[in-house]
Amino acid sequence: MTQEHMTEIANFLARYLSYMLGSGVHTSRVVRNSKRIGAALGVDVSIHTSQKTATLTVTDSECLFFKTRVVDIPAFPISFEWNADLSALSWAACDEKMSLEAIERKFAEITAKPRMNPVFVLFMVSLANASFCRLFGGDIWAMLITFTATMIGFFTRQHLTKRKVNHYIVFIVSAFVASICASSSLALGIDTAEIALATSVLYLVPGVPLINGLIDITDGHIQIGISRIVNAFMLIICIAIGMSVTLMLVKDSLL
Amino acid sequence: MIAVDIISDGLFAAVAAMGFGSISDPPMRAFPYIAILAAVGHAARYCLMTFLGVDIVSASLVAAFIIGTGSVWFGRKVFCPMTVLYIPALLPMVPGTYAYKTVFSLIMFFQEISSPTKGSEYLQEMIFNGAVSFSVLFMLAVGATVPVFLLRERANSMTRGSKFI
Repeated sequence: MTQEHMTEIANFLARYLSYMLGSGVHTSRVVRNSKRIGAALGVDVSIHTSQKTATLTVTDSECLFFKTRVVDIPAFPISFEWNADLSALSWAACDEKMSLEAIERKFAEITAKPRMNPVFVLFMVSLANASFCRLFGGDIWAMLITFTATMIGFFTRQHLTKRKVNHYIVFIVSAFVASICASSSLALGIDTAEIALATSVLYLVPGVPLINGLIDITDGHIQIGISRIVNAFMLIICIAIGMSVTLMLVKDSLL
Repeated sequence: MIAVDIISDGLFAAVAAMGFGSISDPPMRAFPYIAILAAVGHAARYCLMTFLGVDIVSASLVAAFIIGTGSVWFGRKVFCPMTVLYIPALLPMVPGTYAYKTVFSLIMFFQEISSPTKGSEYLQEMIFNGAVSFSVLFMLAVGATVPVFLLRERANSMTRGSKFI
């Protein structure tokens, strides 16, 4: 194996694992998949991960050469589709003995796929929050209010994210917007107004980093697991701040 | 009437799971299975809590375990890793009202900080609601992850031979 080929493999694996870690895949899966691709190409791969960077070393079978790279982990929005398809790519590389060029071509194809239509997501999330309101015992009017409040709140979130506003500020503002819209149910005198207010911000809960963090900790990747959980808790605190501004404003009608 | 309650509970949980899942951009082929898992899991928790009087924390653990086991089985059919199926399916079980009450009592504690009786009442309520919401969240994650340890071989080769790449 030539040195150039090993550099190419290291470069590709660095990109592969940074894309996977950036799009919200738990660490042990990323490590396993990268090692699998490495084994298919005839090299050993060792990886060290943290929240913002990852280090990988690619060694050939005789341990004569090694290539080490430190990569920044880009902040992609969470994508389960990449999770599923990039994992499948690692199995395809292993089972079909694909060449590095073929793997790179497939990788570019998978990551170029468009994301789900944002308007469709907006509608689905609003519908989801309305049914969530029903699960907590809200009536049909509370559901309608939650639907509208979520739509406005999520729309705010989508647009602030597009403008690349700091994500803590995005969470505080969208939690405030959604809950202030939902608090209109208090003025309208709906029986289950409090449930509408409580559910209106739940579309923001960072479920994926929370569960990924716990999975990482149980898999022994404790450092990155704690980082993910701390990250998720910061976002939850932001939701609480946004909502408490609304609660301060309307607390007299809640008691 | 009981059957209607259970079915409507599952139905709304399915809609909620698909909607919250769509934020994380799952592949289209996963949606039906996310819906089934969420409906079964949430209906199971509802039955445990309503008819058997199980507390919310243990009931969530059982429901999460059912969802986790189901995702091992369904994941093979649509070539999706387990997390892709079970994370959206768990989201309708997030203890939203408890979390809300935690924040609300904290705010009210600050408002009543000078009155010792009312203030401590709110503080007590905050700890009560906070403990429930934290434990439920923790149990959801643990319950869904346990099947991964029990069925490690199968759970780790879920996307092998995928027809969708």
